[in-house]
Amino acid sequence: MKKALVILFAAASVVTLAAGQTAVPKAKLPVLTTSAGQSNDVNALNIVLEEADIKYDYCDVPTPEMVAAGVGLGNKQSAEGFHVESTTDLAKFPKGTPFKACLVAIGASLKGMGASGLTIDTEEARVKKLVDYCKKNKIFLVAVHVGGEAGRGPAGSDNERMIDAVAPLADFIVVTKDSNKDGRFSKIAEKGKIGFQQVDYALGLVDIVKKMFN
Amino acid sequence: MSAPESKPLAHPVRVKIVLAVLAAALTVAGGVPLFKHRHFGTPFVAGPGVTKVIKLSDYSPGLKGRFVDADVFVMEGAEPGGKALIMANTHANEPAGYLAVKILIENAVVQKGTLYIIPTINVSASRNTKAGDGYPLYYDIPTDWGRVRFRMGTRDASPLESWPDPDVYIHYPDKQLLSYLDLRNTNRTWPGRPNGPMMERVTYAAMELMRKEKIDLAFDFHGAETMFPVTNCIVAPQKSAKFATLASMMVKAMEGFDSHVEPSPQNFRGLSHREIGDFSNTLPFLLEAPIPFLDQPTGPKTVKLLLDGKDPFLLSLAKKKKLFVSYDANGWPMDKRVGQHMSTTLEIIRQFSKKTPDRAIRLSGAPKYADLVRDGVGKYFHDPAKAEPGRIHYE
Ligand SMILES: [Zn+2]
Repeated sequence: MKKALVILFAAASVVTLAAGQTAVPKAKLPVLTTSAGQSNDVNALNIVLEEADIKYDYCDVPTPEMVAAGVGLGNKQSAEGFHVESTTDLAKFPKGTPFKACLVAIGASLKGMGASGLTIDTEEARVKKLVDYCKKNKIFLVAVHVGGEAGRGPAGSDNERMIDAVAPLADFIVVTKDSNKDGRFSKIAEKGKIGFQQVDYALGLVDIVKKMFN
Repeated sequence: MSAPESKPLAHPVRVKIVLAVLAAALTVAGGVPLFKHRHFGTPFVAGPGVTKVIKLSDYSPGLKGRFVDADVFVMEGAEPGGKALIMANTHANEPAGYLAVKILIENAVVQKGTLYIIPTINVSASRNTKAGDGYPLYYDIPTDWGRVRFRMGTRDASPLESWPDPDVYIHYPDKQLLSYLDLRNTNRTWPGRPNGPMMERVTYAAMELMRKEKIDLAFDFHGAETMFPVTNCIVAPQKSAKFATLASMMVKAMEGFDSHVEPSPQNFRGLSHREIGDFSNTLPFLLEAPIPFLDQPTGPKTVKLLLDGKDPFLLSLAKKKKLFVSYDANGWPMDKRVGQHMSTTLEIIRQFSKKTPDRAIRLSGAPKYADLVRDGVGKYFHDPAKAEPGRIHYE
């Protein structure tokens, strides 16, 4: 099984040559992970970082004030419909160190938004504020979409609004092949001259984040 | 002109007798097939891995002697380890999970840890049908040695076991108001009460099993419409989300099928993936495989549609991007659905075992997604004619 995994990671890191792909940019730590749309894909993103051995802070619904509080997210505690996790190495980045990068897992889930007391409208407004904060404070914004077709849903779905709220403003877009079957993300990247990578599987992201943060 | 004199009705008693006989004949003609269906059993051959077969009522006396009491197949490994519970036929009109557990029971051998398998958690629903929907009563699966016949059940328990229906079902203990039908739906009556309504007793007994046996992982197998957003997925509460996500990523990369993860909503009560996690230390996972048969805008509800999942109306809806799964002329065959349940479950068990080695569960003999798609599910059914009589259980 170990061997199979090694082969898998190797295979996953061979990036598909989709149109418009650019080199993986360098980003700096500390990094915050979060969700736009409250789907489970942010869990996938966190697992990817763990596999890559990159420490992170995570909140599913951070406010600009929490992001401004830097590492430790202002010591906010998890509660119902609100999750905070801080694994950032405090020896290197003490509490309060400003975040240098923010990875946003895009994917709308009515159940997920409901659990956090959000609707698609309030979530969209929240995400826009967060993106806005990152842009103003030069936090390197990465749009991630690993939900595949299921995470896109029918045309005009909630997912499309989440994509529009994040991807065109991102500094880098990385998606799985399935998520980009209709070329939606490559088009956004091309139009906005945004760095873009496509991977075969979500696990392929491990290699990308390693390159990004090393 | 004067009105004709009204005559007394001709032989009113004879008319009544004829009508009564006709009604009785219709009742018998309609009732006999339903009675036979209610009492029909499919042979499950306890394979080399099954160490004992117990009853759900062993964990809660409120079920003792009741029609709804369910069999629990126990598969103990030589080496102690973690424990998993697998439940199928929560909704007995979503049969992929039921076929998957038959295959596990007949083929798998556990080396480390223990598996508890309940092939039919809602016994009453599996012996009930959906009146007015033209459901087939049975479906057959071909094997090399003949056909195996299965009952097609429905979503809710029969009123014979749970009557009368209330105006609304008030969920226990959250007091959330649910549809009256949900009193008969074993995916709304969790965590249940020992002497509550009958379906609450069923889920309570399963909760007791999980608490007393210290079950680590619980799987609840379902099927969902292709037009429903929560389909082709693993539904998991926060505490199970990491294992579900890891498994989802692994099966996609290693086995080539999709099964995304859906968070279990906090505010919708009575569901297995919610209450099991909240009322025990067990990590719950509800697995949904697409089942075109249950979609509304399909052709007739035939056995063929149930098994191959091919439907022209869904195909045209897929072209208009109205479905939540990819769908083409190949439909969504049963073999694939059973394979997804099997591989997703094995992968979650594997990921859990890797992270918690002292509670690891190790088993062999279970076919995976690719095996089932290649060979068909019938290949993995055991011929009851070749089994020792004591090893056959009619489910
Ligand atoms: Zn179901």
